[in-house]
Amino acid sequence: MSDRAPSVEKPNKGRSVEPRLAPYLFIAPYLVITAVFMVYPLINAAILTLYQTNGPASRVFIGVDNFTHLATDPMFHTALWNTTVFAAASVLLQLPLSMTLALLLNSGKSRAKAFFRLILFSPNLVGQIFVGVLFMVMFTPRYGMINRFFHTLIGWGLEEKWLQDPALVMPAIVLTAMWVWVGFNMIYFLAALQSVDKNLEEAARIDGANRFQVFWHVTLPSMRHVVIFVVVTSIIGSYQLFELPLTLFPESQGKGPDNSALTVINYLYEVGFNKGDLGLGSAVGWIVAIIIFCLSLFNIKLSGAAKE
Amino acid sequence: MIERFPYGKAPFWLTIIAIVSAVLVAYTQGQRARSRPDLVFATFASNHIEAYKEAIPSFEREHGVSVSLQLVNSRALQTRLQNAMLAGTDVPDLVEMGPSDMQFFTGGPLEDIGFLDLTERLKREGWLKRLVRSRLSLLTFQKHIFGVPHDVHPVALMYRADLVEKLGIDVNELDTWDEFVRVGRKITRDLDGDGVRDRYMIDLPTSAPWGVEIMMLQQGISLFDEDGNINFNQPKTVDTILWYIEQTQSEHRIAFECGWGTSLAKAMTDGLALFYIAPDWRTGTTQQEIQNLKGKLKLMPLPAWEPGGRRTSTWGGSAVVIPKQNHNTELSWKLAKHLYFDPEALGRRFLDTNIIPPLKDAWDLPAFKKPNPFFSGQAIGELFAKLAPEVPEDWATPYRQDTANKIGDVFLRGGAYFKARGKKGLREYVARELDDAEAYIQHKMDRNVLAKR
Repeated sequence: MSDRAPSVEKPNKGRSVEPRLAPYLFIAPYLVITAVFMVYPLINAAILTLYQTNGPASRVFIGVDNFTHLATDPMFHTALWNTTVFAAASVLLQLPLSMTLALLLNSGKSRAKAFFRLILFSPNLVGQIFVGVLFMVMFTPRYGMINRFFHTLIGWGLEEKWLQDPALVMPAIVLTAMWVWVGFNMIYFLAALQSVDKNLEEAARIDGANRFQVFWHVTLPSMRHVVIFVVVTSIIGSYQLFELPLTLFPESQGKGPDNSALTVINYLYEVGFNKGDLGLGSAVGWIVAIIIFCLSLFNIKLSGAAKE
Repeated sequence: MIERFPYGKAPFWLTIIAIVSAVLVAYTQGQRARSRPDLVFATFASNHIEAYKEAIPSFEREHGVSVSLQLVNSRALQTRLQNAMLAGTDVPDLVEMGPSDMQFFTGGPLEDIGFLDLTERLKREGWLKRLVRSRLSLLTFQKHIFGVPHDVHPVALMYRADLVEKLGIDVNELDTWDEFVRVGRKITRDLDGDGVRDRYMIDLPTSAPWGVEIMMLQQGISLFDEDGNINFNQPKTVDTILWYIEQTQSEHRIAFECGWGTSLAKAMTDGLALFYIAPDWRTGTTQQEIQNLKGKLKLMPLPAWEPGGRRTSTWGGSAVVIPKQNHNTELSWKLAKHLYFDPEALGRRFLDTNIIPPLKDAWDLPAFKKPNPFFSGQAIGELFAKLAPEVPEDWATPYRQDTANKIGDVFLRGGAYFKARGKKGLREYVARELDDAEAYIQHKMDRNVLAKR
């Protein structure tokens, strides 16, 4: 600051503009990058939805045909349904399991807690591609670990085709995703649990509340913001599911048998990049963005967090 | 100097770093552009690369040029090439890719196809007569040939000769699929009484469409005809799908899906299935990857669908194309011919890969008649050369993968119907599903406004 003092004491015309321009110069890189890499692509993607393209080379205006096509394309409907089922499974199966594990760890001894926290979190360190390859081997009919486990345990499943039978494909994906994400979400819940005011829980217990009532009426509301965050990010993550099916079903490029593993992002990739129709791909992108936005908004409204 | 910079030390250094980075990037880009070899050849096929490494130095010496050989993952090669061509950025001078990749480059109007039209060159130089004609169909779009095939990929059956002979099966009698199934039903068994079958006649895929497609092609049913019209919806396709459901899902099934990689190696070693669908390239990968089966395998032609019928089909392939944006068309064409049409090099390449080239002159070379110890001393080159002229046509189309997937879906749905309701009404159901598949693909074709321009 000291080197600017003379200009304050002895103003001149040229330098008096400088302090006013300086802030804009500093934020200019951010504004330029945002404009080039975010605002322009968004606007361009919106315009592209009105075109049919063959990559960036040729395009033809087709109005809203991309949207009417998506409204009637059974493949897109399958993709949307599969993704929604996966999102529902993520919220209804994965998160309760994460919460249960967090509660168990929160009540355990500190050494065991650190050990199990690491064990449960570790699948998240290896990346979805590796997990996909690993589970592809584990789900192999006759020789796979999961098939052999069920066969030994209950005499069923040795030749079960987890990744070939359309009815078993989604359970297989959900199971694989659970292995990856349960530990990750558990860390959030565990952190939230550790910040819950123990005096409130103690007071509830003194008032005669049982363990479930303490959890339901005191603990859970106290960690509401974290729960909302985890639910919203899980929904967003679920609607962006891409790598896992792609690795589990490499032969069909992630679609699975009878499109049973097809997700909306995989559909987008297929039409936009494999087929080169960037217009249709953009339309899918916008639809996914709107769905995620609406679901997140609905979730926040429902939990009352928006009022705060 | 730092003191005189009006915005402080940190912005000063950030500005310096930005300037230095920009200069470095500009310099390295310039260097890279200057050091570009005369030709760049990109391929996805790791099993071809050694042969090319041997062949390229003589080409470089003969023409006084430098050639860079690049191995790129097939998926990356296809998407990067597609985007680079459409965006007009630098591309390799020659690209080796799977002929089915043609579908990604033929979605728009003919002039958008970024490869050189080789039709006239091939005609003028007499190559059309010397190559297996059906292989050019994979590279032919709207009657224009855009590539040179690397291989023929006739399909045979690879079998565990030791086990088959022990069971008293005479493979010479397995000349039709009916006979094959009859024998298969006898030997498909639960050997240890635990309720799970331990021996199947054949490995057939149920989760991917290639098995059904091979059977369809064997009967001459290509997905599309030469003019780009849908060709798959035929009564014979219904028959094929019903047959496939019977062999893979019924009580009398003779087939099991052995998968790929380690599970396939384990299944082959255990003798879980006795027969395996084997185009020439698969015999090469088996030879390299499952060495403990040396001397235990043999090859036979596919059984025919009717007595005296075609004994082969085709699966996969690769081809060289020359992007229009290449740096030297004549030199690129010469390199393509050097790598693909030099009979001596093709003989050596066959010994490395077991892959039969489409150049018919090459098949008389001693390399193709040499007994292969891995396949119990059988001269597999002779067998493949005998099957090669029979390989069916399969025309290039932008809707290839969608159509193959749809046929796979029809098979899966037919299988689910069969499991739930048995054979009653199955034929009508499969026929209806095929009609729906045709309508879906036709709708996609009708919707492609760009292709019609």
